[in-house]
Amino acid sequence: MKILSIIIILLFNNTISFSNENKKNEILKNLRCLVCQGQTISDSNSDFALTIKDVVDEKVNEGLSKKEIYSFLSDKYGDWILFNTPLKKNSYFLWFMPYILFILGGVFLYLVIKKRAQK
Amino acid sequence: MLSSFGITVSTISLLLSLSLLYLSYYDLKLSNNKISKKIYKFAFSQILFIFLSFVTLIIAYIISDFSLINVYENSHTTKPLFYKISGTWGNHEGSLLLWINILVLFSFLFLILNKDKNKNFKLYTIIFQNLLISAFLIFLLTNSNPFSSLYPIPTEGTGLNPILQDPALAIHPPLLYIGFVGSSIYFSIALAALITKVESKSLALTIKPWVSVSWTFQTLGILVGSIWAYYELGWGGFWFWDPVENSSLMPWFLMTALLHSVLVLERRIGLYSWVIILSILTFTMSVVGTFLVRSGILNSVHTFANDPSRGLFILSFLALMVFSSIFIFFKYAPVENKNYKIFSKESFILINNWFMVFFLAVVLIGTLYPVFLDTLTGQKISVGPPYYNFILAPFLLPLLFLMTSGPRHKWISSNVIGIFNIALFTSIILFFVIFLSINEGGLLLLLILLFSVYLITQTTFDFYETFKNKNINLSRIISHFGFGLLILSISLNQIFSVEKSFNAKLGDEKNFQNYTIKFKNLETFSKNNFKSVKGHFEIIDKKNITSQNLTPEIRVYNQPETITYEASINTKLFSDTYLTMSNISNTDIFNIKFHMKPFMNFIWFSVLLISFGGILQFLRFEKRV
Repeated sequence: MKILSIIIILLFNNTISFSNENKKNEILKNLRCLVCQGQTISDSNSDFALTIKDVVDEKVNEGLSKKEIYSFLSDKYGDWILFNTPLKKNSYFLWFMPYILFILGGVFLYLVIKKRAQK
Repeated sequence: MLSSFGITVSTISLLLSLSLLYLSYYDLKLSNNKISKKIYKFAFSQILFIFLSFVTLIIAYIISDFSLINVYENSHTTKPLFYKISGTWGNHEGSLLLWINILVLFSFLFLILNKDKNKNFKLYTIIFQNLLISAFLIFLLTNSNPFSSLYPIPTEGTGLNPILQDPALAIHPPLLYIGFVGSSIYFSIALAALITKVESKSLALTIKPWVSVSWTFQTLGILVGSIWAYYELGWGGFWFWDPVENSSLMPWFLMTALLHSVLVLERRIGLYSWVIILSILTFTMSVVGTFLVRSGILNSVHTFANDPSRGLFILSFLALMVFSSIFIFFKYAPVENKNYKIFSKESFILINNWFMVFFLAVVLIGTLYPVFLDTLTGQKISVGPPYYNFILAPFLLPLLFLMTSGPRHKWISSNVIGIFNIALFTSIILFFVIFLSINEGGLLLLLILLFSVYLITQTTFDFYETFKNKNINLSRIISHFGFGLLILSISLNQIFSVEKSFNAKLGDEKNFQNYTIKFKNLETFSKNNFKSVKGHFEIIDKKNITSQNLTPEIRVYNQPETITYEASINTKLFSDTYLTMSNISNTDIFNIKFHMKPFMNFIWFSVLLISFGGILQFLRFEKRV
């Protein structure tokens, strides 16, 4: 299990944070600017974005982890602010459905090819 | 004056479409082998009148005729002529008229280019096309009329959103619409083929050129849109997984699937129903895309204008279209002739389709799920780039691998051959060269690099083989090579990008990593339709001892009053230097964003290559017929 989790982390964590600066930038890129149209906090210069940038800066310097910062912000502003959709009851469909569809598609395709190969 | 003329001309177009419907239906029952001359005449008048209505609107824009609400709301006398013209399709009503124009043009081309085809097959296609044309014309005239008049006539218009005043955005909608609307023709052909029981080869040959054309234009349209987003939005990115961008990508996946499966159908084997389903789905997705963009149910960076009543119309139209297609499909669906063997080329093409439909499903779920969740439960969530990257990126590995080995398999039946060959060996060596020059990036990213290098090397080898063996499909090689290069460039871009955001005052100097940025000067000037604050910066690269000057701007447009941030980009072959600045309110401090974006040119070039493959495919077809 431990090995598996290491492999998973290696596979998906392609933006390993090396410093607070990187960590901060990564967080800002995953936040929605609530007063803009679909823009990230990192890209926006609205007053709202500037405030959030200060907040994130402060929290990173306090030594909070990424996860803690995300949950702090979503408690305050709701999940709407998080571009990296958290895995919750209301997002199971979003996160798992693609894999289910992929597998179903594969099974269907396999059956079609197999059936035709026999003839 | 132009208002009533425009309305008259569009109404005549609608009447002509309805007459064409009647004439074609009547002609179906006649026993002669040729389509009646009358239909050609009506089709010709139809294209003439619809074209005239579009020209009328363009003229209204050029002479700034503010008696048209549409011109008043989207134009301004001080706007440069070029943007007055492109402003015609820079808004919902005008772009709908463009959409209809392309629809009519395609139907007309279909009618005159397929002289030798089965008569009823052609007539049914014309009927379905004219049903679509009539529906969209009714929508135009009742809900989104670009010719609606305004009284009293204002002396000045409110202007076009300045970020739309851009050459890339002037050609972006026409390109994309040729793609979107191009799919309508194979939608109609597919339904007509079902009803008249056209055989698979004939269907494939009829559909193929339209699929290649629409696919090529869709690809180019997406490319131009991304280039625009890259330099105009000023965020340093070129794809944001934004709902509106996704809307253009969804039909693209299906077109790609269709482009491949038509190859199978052409050789008289299977997939008849599947090609029909794909054709229907592709146009459906195009209309869904239009619905998503126009109804305003999405929160997007590209939301410029929207109105729920439009959404309602498009949604009803969509429902009607889908249900009638399903009805026709089940009523007429043929029994498939089945003759397959595993590992044949067909299987690989089906696997391609499996991936394309999967990608479509992911993008569709990601785009629509938040909307449904909000409507059903009131909970608001965001789905952004991290979601798409997480789900899609791992699937690039098998996709790249299959794109490499799949096309090397022969038709009907063959064994798994030569997977471990010289190309793989070369690419592993190349990969290690890249690997040694990279010191970060996760395993997945590295694997994607390896597989894209493999695809590039293999297609290069394939390219040399074409000189020995003339039968190899050059369009495939170029498109696949382009795709490999695209993925490679995007990955390298991800790895080597440098980004720095900081606050500075005039005269400040900022040092980080190997760079020094000097804020040297600030000038203000005003032009015809905007005022500008321009910063002069010097960027010194201490590693390579080079320096470059960049001048980002903050523009305040007067009509309508809008602030835009103009990025200053210095493009070199391997890397772009990208600088934007914005003022922090009530201070003399500016926020400066610096990006080093490597391989941007390669990203654009590779998409061009991909679409070039589509053009070759189209030409190959023309030569054979």
